[in-house]
Amino acid sequence: MTRRALIEAIRGSAQRVLAEPGGLLVSLGFYTIIVGTLAGLWRVAAHANGGDLGGYSAVALTWYIVTSEAAIVSVNARLIEDIGRDIAHGTVAVELLRPASVLAVRVASEVGRGLPRVALLWTGGAVLATVVAGAPPRPATLLLAAPSLVLAIIANLLGQHAVAAAAFWLRDAGSAWFLYLKAVFITGGMIIPLELLPHGLERASRVLPFRAMAYAPARLAAGHAEPGLLVEQVVWIAVLALAAGAAFRAGERRLQVVGG
Amino acid sequence: MAIEVRGLTKVFETGRRRARRRVEAVRDLTLSVADGERVAYIGPNGAGKSTSIKILTGILHPTRGDASVLGITPWVDRRRLAQRIGTLFGQRSLLWLELTPRQSYRMLAAIYGLDQEAEARRVAELGELLEATDLFDQPVRSLSLGQRMRCELTACLLHDPEVLFLDEPTIGLDLVAKQRFRELLVRLNEQQGTTIFLTSHDVADIEHVAERAVVINHGEVIYDDDVAVMRRALLTTKVVEVGLAGPLPAPTQPGVTVLEHTDQTMRLVVDTAVTPIRTVLDGLFVGPSVVDISVVDPPLEQVIAEIYELPAR
Repeated sequence: MTRRALIEAIRGSAQRVLAEPGGLLVSLGFYTIIVGTLAGLWRVAAHANGGDLGGYSAVALTWYIVTSEAAIVSVNARLIEDIGRDIAHGTVAVELLRPASVLAVRVASEVGRGLPRVALLWTGGAVLATVVAGAPPRPATLLLAAPSLVLAIIANLLGQHAVAAAAFWLRDAGSAWFLYLKAVFITGGMIIPLELLPHGLERASRVLPFRAMAYAPARLAAGHAEPGLLVEQVVWIAVLALAAGAAFRAGERRLQVVGG
Repeated sequence: MAIEVRGLTKVFETGRRRARRRVEAVRDLTLSVADGERVAYIGPNGAGKSTSIKILTGILHPTRGDASVLGITPWVDRRRLAQRIGTLFGQRSLLWLELTPRQSYRMLAAIYGLDQEAEARRVAELGELLEATDLFDQPVRSLSLGQRMRCELTACLLHDPEVLFLDEPTIGLDLVAKQRFRELLVRLNEQQGTTIFLTSHDVADIEHVAERAVVINHGEVIYDDDVAVMRRALLTTKVVEVGLAGPLPAPTQPGVTVLEHTDQTMRLVVDTAVTPIRTVLDGLFVGPSVVDISVVDPPLEQVIAEIYELPAR
C-alpha cells in the first residue's frame, strides 16, 4: 500500500464530488438552514445572558456553530449504514481482492469526499457568520481551525469505520449508527459547546473521542488559541485508527472463515 | 501450473445453537489448471462454484485441503496473489461510476503499484487490444453495458495478471456485445498467454471461450475434459431434421422419438445407443419424398444438463 494509492483515493473521490455540483449545493443549502437556525438561537441566548455564555460571546458562538456543523455535515452521516450494507452485500469481500488495505482505501476515499464539502461549507459559513454576527473574534485562530477541521473529519471517519465493523458480526448496524450520531451531536459538541453541557456530561465528554470530531475546530474558530486541541485530535486519530484497524482485521478474518 | 487444488473442502455453519447446521459447500475438490489454459468452471446454482472461486482468490479460508494459485496459497498471502491475478464479477464494477474509466485506472494503478509511465503504457495497450480507447474519457455512467464491460476488463487487466477469474462476465450483455467480449477473452489468451478461469451459466460462453470444462455439483467435480470431447462423449442422441416433398410415414424403430411431423418436415431424436443413426437414415431414404436431411448434435445446454445429473467422479 503506497502513499500514492492513498493520495489517488483522496483525489479520485474529490473528483467524484466535484463532478456532481448539484450534490454540493444541496449540502450547502441544508448546512445554511441548520447553521442559520442554531446560530440565531445561540445569539439570542447569549444576548439574554448579558452577551456571554460559558465564555463565548454571541459572535464567538456563531463562529463555533458554523465550524462544528461544517465538520459534521461534510462527512457522510450514514456511513456506518453504508459500510454495513457493503459488508452484508459482499462489496467489501470484493475489495479484499485488491492488494491494499480495505480500511485505508475506504477512509482515504471518504476524506476525499469530505474535503471539497468542508471547503465549500466552511467558506459559506464564514461568509454567513461575518454578515449576521461579525468578523471572527480572533482571525489568527482560524489558521489553527482549518487543519483542525481536516483532523476532525479524519477522526469522525475512523470512528464510524470502527463502529461499522460491527456489521461483520451483526446483521444490522443501523442501531449503532443511531447511537453514534447522537454521541457526536452531544458529546462531540456539534450543537452545543461542551462547556455548556451539564457538569457530568461535560466531564464525560472530555474522555470520549467525539470531541475531536467537532468541538476542537469549533472552539479554535471561536477565538480560543489552544493548539493543544490539535495534539489531542492527533492522539484520538491514532487511537481510533488502531481500533478501526483491529476491528476490520478481525472482521475480515471472520469474513474469510465464515463466508463472503 | 497456474492453479492446483487438492482435497479442498469448505463447510459453512449456519443457524444458532440447536438449529445449527453444517453445509458442505465444497467437498474434497481436486483439480489443476495449466498456464495459459482456458477453463470453464460450471455447475448448477449452489454447486459450490462461487465458494471455490472465493477460496482461490483468497477471500475465503477453506475448512480443509490445499490450493495454490501461481505458487501462492491464496488465503495465506491474499495481497501478494492479488498483484498477479485479475478478477471480474459480472455484477460488480471495478470502476467508479462518477469518474471516467481513465480516472478509475489512475486510482487502480496506484493501488497496484504501477508508476505513471507504466500505467499510461498499459492503458494504451489495453485500449488498442480491447478497442476501447475512445471510451476511456467518457463518464462510466454514460457508457452502454457492453462498452462498460470492455472498460471493466481493462481495469481488471491493468496490472497484467497471469490468471483471470471471471464470474458471469457476460451477464446482461446483448448478443453482439457477448460475442465481442468472448472474442476479446480468446484474443487475450492467445496474445498474452493469460490463463482464463471462467464461470458462466451461458453455454455460448463455454462453447466460444473455453477449451476445457470442469463441472462441479454438490461441491465435487463430476466432469473434467475438453469441451469438444464432452460433447462427443456424452452425446448418445442426435437430432435428425428432414425436409419432405410429400407425406412420409414416421420411422418406428426403437430409440427414435418424433418431435414434429408434417407433410413438409419431420424432426426426430435418435438414441444412437439403441438404433444406429445409419439405420434410421437408410429407412428414411426408402421413399422419394425426402428432399433434404440434416443430422445435428443437441444443443450444449442439453449436454450440460445431462452432466449435472452425473454422480461424482
